[in-house]
Amino acid sequence: MMTISILKKALLASAIVLSTTAAYAEDITITVWAGGSNASDSYRMDAIEMAADILSKEQAILGNELNITIEKKRDFGGWSEFKQAVTLAAEAGKAPNIVATSHLDIAPWSEAGYIVPIEDYLDLDAWPINNIYDNLLKIASFDGVQWGIPQDAESRPFFFWKETMSKIGYSDADIEALPAKVQAGEYTLANVLVDAKKAVDMGLVEKGYGFYPRASNGPDFAQFYLSYGGVLQDPATGKLVLDKKAMTDMYQFFVDAVAAGITRKNHIGTDGSQWYADVANGKVAMWHGGTWHYGRYTGKEGNNDFFGTIQFSLIPAGNEAGKANTITHPLVYLITNQETDRAEEIAAQLINIASEPRINTLHAIKSSHLGITKQQSNIELYSSNRWASEATERLLPHASSQPNHLQYGAFSEALWKGLEASWTGVQTPAEAIKEVEAELKAILGDELIIR
Amino acid sequence: MKNFNWLALGFLAPALIVITVFFLAPVILTGIFSFTSMSTSTGVTGGEYLLNQSGIRALADKGLNTATLDQLKNAGYVVDEKGLAALAERHGVATATEMRKLHENGQFSSRRDMERALKSLKANKIRSTKDRKAAAELFKHSLLNERFPTESKFRTAITEGGIPLEDHELIVTQAYTGWVWTVDNVKLLFSLPSTLRYAGNTLIYVTLTLMFNIGFGLFLAISTFYLPAKSASTFRAIWFLPRILPPVMYVLLWKWLTWDTGFIATTLSWIGVAPINWMLDTSTHAWVVVVLINGSFGASLGMILFSSAIKAIPSSILYASEVDGANRWQQVRYIILPHLRWPILFITSYQTLSLLTSFEHILLSTEGGPGRATEVWSLAAYHIALDNYGGNLQYGLGATFAVALVIIGIIASLFYLRFFNFNEMVAKPKIEG
Repeated sequence: MMTISILKKALLASAIVLSTTAAYAEDITITVWAGGSNASDSYRMDAIEMAADILSKEQAILGNELNITIEKKRDFGGWSEFKQAVTLAAEAGKAPNIVATSHLDIAPWSEAGYIVPIEDYLDLDAWPINNIYDNLLKIASFDGVQWGIPQDAESRPFFFWKETMSKIGYSDADIEALPAKVQAGEYTLANVLVDAKKAVDMGLVEKGYGFYPRASNGPDFAQFYLSYGGVLQDPATGKLVLDKKAMTDMYQFFVDAVAAGITRKNHIGTDGSQWYADVANGKVAMWHGGTWHYGRYTGKEGNNDFFGTIQFSLIPAGNEAGKANTITHPLVYLITNQETDRAEEIAAQLINIASEPRINTLHAIKSSHLGITKQQSNIELYSSNRWASEATERLLPHASSQPNHLQYGAFSEALWKGLEASWTGVQTPAEAIKEVEAELKAILGDELIIR
Repeated sequence: MKNFNWLALGFLAPALIVITVFFLAPVILTGIFSFTSMSTSTGVTGGEYLLNQSGIRALADKGLNTATLDQLKNAGYVVDEKGLAALAERHGVATATEMRKLHENGQFSSRRDMERALKSLKANKIRSTKDRKAAAELFKHSLLNERFPTESKFRTAITEGGIPLEDHELIVTQAYTGWVWTVDNVKLLFSLPSTLRYAGNTLIYVTLTLMFNIGFGLFLAISTFYLPAKSASTFRAIWFLPRILPPVMYVLLWKWLTWDTGFIATTLSWIGVAPINWMLDTSTHAWVVVVLINGSFGASLGMILFSSAIKAIPSSILYASEVDGANRWQQVRYIILPHLRWPILFITSYQTLSLLTSFEHILLSTEGGPGRATEVWSLAAYHIALDNYGGNLQYGLGATFAVALVIIGIIASLFYLRFFNFNEMVAKPKIEG
């Protein structure tokens, strides 16, 4: 009897040991894909790897063996190839667990069921999410659901080449006061036209290099629409808005810039490397770009005295109807729909940990982006970085974003088509607007408000 | 079946498979897609049922009555008996009792608020986020933001939610996230102002490039025919280069040639011409470059075919013509060109069809610019279906553009067959009849 009971106990004990090992030794592979990323953006994926390490350690303390393998990929041809890759993988049921992508993808991808809301897994009132800037969190949500967590923040400033500005008559004090004047609406896009023309006429910069805009479609141009009083989304109904007057004024600004000889008619499509080289070393009087350009100007382009040579501000207002503004277009971490809930849960946990101020700061400083949490200003690496702290202070409070709307892609394409046609002189702004209006009416139908 | 040749089928099989997989299937699928509302947001493989704020807004626009709308919008989370009972079952009676004490009949519009209510439990804390989220679901009344895999499940849910039966149809249609059959793409195709422009651009592109292709191909074939054999093959080899270079490389060379910092601009600046971008300065520049890029690429094919066709002309005819005193021009006009009728037909129809659908050189060079001036139909189809900064790719509309191209291609082929009197040309030679 005794032997049987001992045997029973031994069996039971080994069964328990076996069952615990079987239950807790968990191996899981989490794939992370980051769009629009180059070497300096490596922390978009490395942060997840660091998070995996922390999560495994947390679980080990609880007695669970969790082995997470992180697979990283960021080599996609460009944004469109990245988006195609993600959607096709999702259709085939092989979506990467975590994607770092544009917040504009949330609307279509959530509708398609490719992604799952991160709020299903994370407590939004807990650390570190409760420390993330509210406006950034809002950008990562759609239709009242928190789909993702902002991965970084950025903003798109207007730049002035200081030396050129002083040669056309601005004192050092004037140049220092420019950002405030821009913000107050005292220095407008009309002044940009005048000053850039001066720079060209005085031979300080070549013809066509007075004002040097972005050379391809992007969120940047919506800023100029806002500068002239345009509105992207009607807050009451959530519908997209085409303000014909503001759009015409904005097209006209680029047409005027070409006519004045300060912007090249065939500027669109300028090679990226050439573009950076031109703006970073004084070949251009004024231009607009992004906060992450800082890294490129001071790094690859070899500008060793950024603050001594370049002034930055909000995008100036166009007229009284609009005001100085900037758009932030943060990337967001999204988790994709997987066969098992467990993979989604772990992915969400990893994103949560990767959003820790200290970890996010690594990305912010390495890639010249802005932080996502308030506490980053208390982290030495962040606060001691002049660019990050000044850009955060000067730009981020005024930053708006493009709306997460299912049809925003079509809207932005049409806006760009019209701008391209007016800019290159193929159509007048009035003709272009007429076509944009017809096109948007046909595609968006009820989802568009025309003013 | 006795005469059925299995061996022949075996030999043909690889070709049949390739044709089916790479040609027939894409064409048929494109045809099918063109009558759907397929886009990134609908997905390709099917849909589910989901009501979100955008959906509610669309329902309001479609005239759903306000009472039902409010019902859908405001259901939210309610701390009711059913929920409390479920909570008691999962987390114990004490938890449920405390919850009742704190929030009985409490209504919360969002899940976050519901979770906050659960967090306010003091004596019976639900500590894990996961458990708290699951507990919040016990009080859920709202249908918003929940995905239902099938229509019947969704219908059951709205019935349980007390939505009047007469509104079900409208709500179910709106909630479906997948693609539906539709002819809207065709309507859109005819109503978009850009359609006409793309059609016009395509006409310019195909006509000019074709003229260049055939004309230049003929010129090369005939001129090299009269050259000594060795230099003739050198010339042909040079003109064959565009075809054997990788397209990206080939277009890059054109870019170096035409950019405002490129070869042409630099050379001309020596004689005082201000540098311009010779590819993108105006739409005329763009068209000239696009035609030259595609034309030089295409001319080599014509050159090879025409050259071999000329060589097939019995030399006795040419000698005889020289004896009769014909000059080179007369030889070309009366002997060579008539013999080249068949290869010219072939190249014309082949190139028309391939030009209609090829856009890679334009994509790599002007990308349709400046201001969409060189955006041809096939490039537009690509942009609509596969390239959109905002993320919502319009597969269905893009497919409709592509199908229109197939139809135009077929009409063009029929026209060529008739125009060149194809039947007569392939008729059996009378001499062997």
